[in-house]
Amino acid sequence: MRKELIELRVNGRKHELAIEPSELLLDVLRQELDLTGSKRGCDDSSCGACTVLVDGVPTLSCTMLAMSCAADEQEALEITTVEGIADHGALAAIQKAYGDWGGAQCGFCTPGFMITVKALLDRNPEPSEDDIRHALSGNLCRCTGYTQMYQAIKAAIEAEQEHR
Amino acid sequence: MSLPSFKFLRPRTLRQAVDYLARHGDQLMVLAGGTDLLPSMKQKLFTPAYLMDIRGIEEIQGIHVRPGAGMEIGALTPLSAVEDSESIRRNYRVLHEAAMTVASPILRNMGTLGGNICLDTRCVWYNQSLQWRRSCGFCIKKDGDLCHVAPGGKFCWAAFSGDTPPALLCLGAELEIVGPTGLRRVALKDFYTKVGDARMKLERNEMLTRIFLPEASSGWKGSYMKLRIRGSIDYPLAGVAVALKKNGGPVEAARVAVTAVNPAPLLVAGAENALVGKQVDEHVAAVVGELAAKMAKPLTTSALTPEYRREIVKVYTKRAVLAANTSN
Amino acid sequence: MAEFSVIGKRIALVDSAGKTTGQGKYADDLQLPGMLTGKILHSPYPHAKIKKIDASKAEAVEGVVCVVTGPDAPNKYGILPVGHDETALAVEKVRYVGDNVACVVATSEAIAERALELIDVEYEQLPAWFDPEDSMKAERDWIHPQRPNNIEKDYHHVFGDPDKGFAEADVVTEHRYIAGEVTHAAMEPHCTLAQFEIDSQTGQPGRLTVWSSTQVPYYLQHKLSIVLEMPMQQIRVIKPLVGGGFGGKSEVIPLEIIAAVAARKAKAPVKITYTREEVFWAHRGRPRTIIDLKIGAKKDGHLTSVAAKVIQDGGAYCSYGVVTILYSGALLGALYDIPNIRYDGYRVLTNKPACGAMRGHGTVNVRFAFESQLDEIAGQLEIDPAEIRRINLLKPPCVTVNNLRVQSYGLPECIEKVIERSGWGERRGKLPPARGMGMACSHYVSGAANSIIRSDMPHSTVNIKIDRDGGVVVYTGASDIGQGSDTMVAQIVAEVLGIGLGRIRVIAADTDLTPIDIGSYSSRVTFMNGNASLRSAEDVKKKIVAAAALKMNCAPEDVIMRDDRVWKRGTASPATNGAGAEHTARADTSGGSVREVSGRVEGQTLRGSLQQKRKDEGPKDQMSFEEAVVSAIDFTGALSGTGSYAPPKDARGGAFKGAGVGPSPAYSYSAQVAEVSVDEETGEVKVHKVWAAHDCGRALNPVSVEGQVIGSVWMGLGQAMQEEMVWKDGLLMNPGMLEYKSPSATESPEVECIIVESVDPEGPFGAKEASEGSLAATIPAIANAIYNAVGVRLREAPFTPERVLAALKAKRSEKKALEMTRGSDPSSPTTFREHGGSLWFKGKGPQRHEDDPSRRTNQAETAAGDD
Repeated sequence: MRKELIELRVNGRKHELAIEPSELLLDVLRQELDLTGSKRGCDDSSCGACTVLVDGVPTLSCTMLAMSCAADEQEALEITTVEGIADHGALAAIQKAYGDWGGAQCGFCTPGFMITVKALLDRNPEPSEDDIRHALSGNLCRCTGYTQMYQAIKAAIEAEQEHR
Repeated sequence: MSLPSFKFLRPRTLRQAVDYLARHGDQLMVLAGGTDLLPSMKQKLFTPAYLMDIRGIEEIQGIHVRPGAGMEIGALTPLSAVEDSESIRRNYRVLHEAAMTVASPILRNMGTLGGNICLDTRCVWYNQSLQWRRSCGFCIKKDGDLCHVAPGGKFCWAAFSGDTPPALLCLGAELEIVGPTGLRRVALKDFYTKVGDARMKLERNEMLTRIFLPEASSGWKGSYMKLRIRGSIDYPLAGVAVALKKNGGPVEAARVAVTAVNPAPLLVAGAENALVGKQVDEHVAAVVGELAAKMAKPLTTSALTPEYRREIVKVYTKRAVLAANTSN
Repeated sequence: MAEFSVIGKRIALVDSAGKTTGQGKYADDLQLPGMLTGKILHSPYPHAKIKKIDASKAEAVEGVVCVVTGPDAPNKYGILPVGHDETALAVEKVRYVGDNVACVVATSEAIAERALELIDVEYEQLPAWFDPEDSMKAERDWIHPQRPNNIEKDYHHVFGDPDKGFAEADVVTEHRYIAGEVTHAAMEPHCTLAQFEIDSQTGQPGRLTVWSSTQVPYYLQHKLSIVLEMPMQQIRVIKPLVGGGFGGKSEVIPLEIIAAVAARKAKAPVKITYTREEVFWAHRGRPRTIIDLKIGAKKDGHLTSVAAKVIQDGGAYCSYGVVTILYSGALLGALYDIPNIRYDGYRVLTNKPACGAMRGHGTVNVRFAFESQLDEIAGQLEIDPAEIRRINLLKPPCVTVNNLRVQSYGLPECIEKVIERSGWGERRGKLPPARGMGMACSHYVSGAANSIIRSDMPHSTVNIKIDRDGGVVVYTGASDIGQGSDTMVAQIVAEVLGIGLGRIRVIAADTDLTPIDIGSYSSRVTFMNGNASLRSAEDVKKKIVAAAALKMNCAPEDVIMRDDRVWKRGTASPATNGAGAEHTARADTSGGSVREVSGRVEGQTLRGSLQQKRKDEGPKDQMSFEEAVVSAIDFTGALSGTGSYAPPKDARGGAFKGAGVGPSPAYSYSAQVAEVSVDEETGEVKVHKVWAAHDCGRALNPVSVEGQVIGSVWMGLGQAMQEEMVWKDGLLMNPGMLEYKSPSATESPEVECIIVESVDPEGPFGAKEASEGSLAATIPAIANAIYNAVGVRLREAPFTPERVLAALKAKRSEKKALEMTRGSDPSSPTTFREHGGSLWFKGKGPQRHEDDPSRRTNQAETAAGDD
């Protein structure tokens, strides 16, 4: 299949890329843009390691065609990857807290969780424990048993509140 | 795993979409949320020449209350929007409960109500990679003439595994379908075929555009219960939806439907009779449970044994009836 | 002043920022110019001879560079010296559905996948073996001809006098337990990138560099050398970040070898990343296990004798199998005081993906049986389950009847703590109906005292280099797979040298740069690499202290290093201000003006100014770490240290056959209480909470210890409740994350970790393992809690709702109770249950051999009529 020229908007920057229509957003991010923070963990859209924000909504980039995000007569969708959730050279509160509280062990699922938690806190800055558990339930982690993530998220919320 | 090659179409209007359907219908597939279609394409279950991404069609998005005439939901409305809709929670409780159990929060952001209605039937012998399917012999549903679930059978038993359709059946939902000859409307209960490898009455050049919830079932109490192993992500291994019309006194109207235990979501025959005119109690609920279990024909298409899943249909139906009775 | 300044503190992993920002690189994140993609063709048959492979059509596809097959690298390898039974790609035979047949190397994944479809392979079917008890009876068509009756290895151990022990017992219980097969399911699918350099002298492919998701870079280097017939020193293995291992990357996995062979043939860098389905086929997880367990006890609760017969469904290759079956017997000891033990272990080959090492290697399923049965005995004798465990405690220091040396032993305190926190005494028995609490204990080795290749070679060596600017570089072979070994090494070195973590850079797991460490498995890294790090740091510290003592005119014993300062004992300790003793204002050029920064930059004392300073100043009482380092370098030249660790001889176990597995320099201990409620109508079990007290010797980093313990308990919980590889005649029914039910956040309960510190005499600062020992107790703690809640004893794991409901109904003697478990009673299981579908029907299915169980059973079913 011939490649097509598309325009993507990722982490606030526009990119022109030549891709095949069958290419997944995840593969384009990782291979064409070298944004390897988003991970492929499964092939059946169940693990959440590839989660990115598409127009602010947590989305599995392994279950999304890059073409579907590209500009046509309308603007390209705004894609935010884990590389785009904090200014370069600094850690967002949630990133720092995941480190401090053991929310990340092997780290492979972590970028997906960062996106999910960011979307949660953007929507609901003071989530209950149930809200958190519910929000995290689409991302699988195999190291932590999730317990330390809850501590990390609480710490991040507190840090954000102090910051304000 | 890579996707097979296809030509990509991205209509922005319904008219454009219908044009594409008319032109390429026999070799085109419609991509909405993609949460089931794209993983299946990775497994080479589908290799369409054209993939038509309809997410850009604004006309069939969103939830619209039509005063006095029920509710209209665009087929492209994400399940998370159905889940979050206050008016659905208030007026069509069973749909709210069903929507919030679908897969996971992320998948509900992506998956659409229309997609959940048109969901492909599932079977552990079918939802596998090409390599895997080759190693056990291709089945009736894809590429072969075997059935691993009912050996020797010619009938496909793959289970319909959507959560929202049983709720929609309980609410008496209707579908709007568009095709080259224009719009048509069909009751959801007449949409499914009960055949695993030809699950719905939708021509290849047609697509689902809107879902209508009648005013008549607005305000019904409801409950949905779902059997699954994990509290998230999983498809149902059995699901029961119950909707009741009640106003302080006995049940005035009722529907019960089961999913994931047959090739189609089914209204439970006799449930209405068993409930209408009664005060719901443990006994009445148990009778409905027995009726539901009779409708359920689970086979070895998924995890957990068919015998267990049938048992659960009985228990969950009883519980869902009781829960619906006391729901808001 | 606190005893320690760095260890014992709750700190973030040194690589955590790379993980939370997505900047850290895992193997699949790496790209090289001209890199090609490899895709593997797998066998569709469980057992077959390969008659012919014709790849010509695949090779003709535009974009395909080459196709690799078995004969390209026919040398056998295997992780154990006694188990060299694998080849990179199948030679002559395939042994399981998913076995590796050929590899296409192409310019893209899509092209390679298309080309795979064009490879013609002609097979000749052989009968296949799927149930280990059947397989052991096989008279012909053995999976490996050198293993008669498909028995990989059997061991028969007798310690003490088991028969006499049973004769003396007041109660003897005997039951069969069955545990389903589970797998690691690490979030990162395996990936390997291999590249050959062209040799400048010969113009031929020379050195090989391999980046791989491995827990054992040095074993990988060794096996690559065997298969590729290259000297080890021509092979460099680099471990990037690894996305979880749990044992699944603790041996050489086929793709690691295939990628290297493919890179050699393609004459270009080749990357292979497994699909999730391939990860399940690569497997090496915990085998399905049958345990026939007999325990005798006196009325007072003292155990008199234990006899266990264990059969493991090992899959088609040896892998770590011999070690697994030995651990299953050896770790009957070292938890409680058991005077007499008989052990019969059978590791059996079957036509399924190979099982190997998984978290809690070898001990988990037997511990499930043992702790369940101990609970039952406690019930019979009317002794509290906590009390019967206390009655049977070891009295260390001691050597167990099977020659395991036990020194530090925190189990009594673990039991104490877990009773206290869970409210065991007050709450158990007074909970609402169908809610219960159960207890169980477990333990694990802190590294195997004997390496796979028996020798006196150190198991770990660590080097340290310190530069004039006070930067400390630690070179360790330890493989961080997310458990935090880089952080552990940095902490130990920082503690010894009295410096902040910010000074330390850890270079790890690169065979060209780092000295040998045998890998991240058997929970050995903190104990062994930690000890090597400690010794290495002490070695270099000696040199610094000697120089500082001269500078300060005192004896070396009187030199104190701490908080980035060095001072003379007895003088006032300098005000501590962390790593920045020499801090000057950060050079801020934002205003655009140029600043003079000669002399001091960012805490560094540059050479010229320091030499000047030294000339100017006479003897002194204290100095900065940098000054001390510079003095040492001036005295000794390069400032470096080295340290290594080999387990002591008296910890290496007995002399009998198989005695090498089980001994460890130290054991971790765990006691747990689980609280569950059971839905008696549906069989669904909810785990409300698990309290886990774990004796890790000393917690070097409590955040990490808690993370490891909670993670272990959680993984045990997955095995207890919902994880299971479901088989149908050798075909894996659930090879994906959607159908293999690794728990989501929703059903994962709170786990409260209680750290118990027994301070081991030989561990680094007294530390022992924390990552595996807690897993095994979780399964029986839940089983015992279910019994406490509803009175059914589940002897078949996982405790899925259908099994629980079947057992409940069987207990109530309901008709058709066992239909939902296909006639098998989960409270007294007999054989493994398979998925209920069919593979073959009237000759139309896959061409399985006529002696295949799939054909035998289905013919029987067909005769009985279709349903």
